[in-house]
Amino acid sequence: MSASTHETDEEFDARFESYFNRKDIDGWEIRKAMHDLLSEDLVPEPRIISAALQACRRVNDFALCVRILESVRNKCGNRVNEIYPYVIQEIRPTLDTLGISTPEELGYDKPELAMEDVYEIH
Amino acid sequence: MYSVIASKGAHVTRGAAKLSTSAQVCGSISKIGNRDVVGHGFNGEASYMDRADYPFPAVRFREPASDFTAVLEKERGDWNKLSIEEKKKLYRYSFCQTIAELKAPTGEWKFCIGATLFMSSLSLWIYIWMKTYVYSPLPESTKEESKRAQLRRQLDMRIDPIDGISSRWDYDNDKWK
Repeated sequence: MSASTHETDEEFDARFESYFNRKDIDGWEIRKAMHDLLSEDLVPEPRIISAALQACRRVNDFALCVRILESVRNKCGNRVNEIYPYVIQEIRPTLDTLGISTPEELGYDKPELAMEDVYEIH
Repeated sequence: MYSVIASKGAHVTRGAAKLSTSAQVCGSISKIGNRDVVGHGFNGEASYMDRADYPFPAVRFREPASDFTAVLEKERGDWNKLSIEEKKKLYRYSFCQTIAELKAPTGEWKFCIGATLFMSSLSLWIYIWMKTYVYSPLPESTKEESKRAQLRRQLDMRIDPIDGISSRWDYDNDKWK
């Protein structure tokens, strides 16, 4: 995944998509690539997210799919109402094929559980 | 393989992440039980922390205990057959808090503002107490009458007559120019 100095947006998307499409990708590499992708100043293209979800399916990690969708939602910042529905609309076929629930369907778009304050535990 | 891991201490290496058990990764004392090491995390340590900027921690939140065995076995099959409850259980197996929970407001700002205002008012009361019981009264020279007398004396002595205070005094008419 070496980045060339003059990479177009199209090449960037294709690089990540082909990385996630590797047949022998493992969970470590999915997380590493997602961290790299999320550290960029962008919201990932739906086709990259679809490829990442397919990769999660190959390594049998359902929770990672939901976490990826949550992190993409978080990445939309204060324009989440514009961008996130578009992303979900574009990856809907992948979600339905693989049986992945969105964070909203699991009720994770709003806080579900409260956690005890660590300063109050002892 | 073991010697390589031992030399790296608690740091997760590519090879170590592929091991089925993670106890070896942490050297002689295991701090993560038999949780799976699944990634690099935010700094390469085999530790768990929910962070919005690094959403994928290095270890799973739960150990693969018997109450997860069934749902983990089901995860290998078609995900369309998983119920919502099972999906949520799988999520909480890997992660402690959702990102929405992580970013939920804590209400701590109310405590901060309250504490700040309390400390400010406390210091004001301390000042008032000091003023009342500790400090002696201000000297005579700070009174209006004394200050006027002092100014008059400066003018009478013609202090700084070229471009200072006395140069701006009209001595013929006894007033400021």
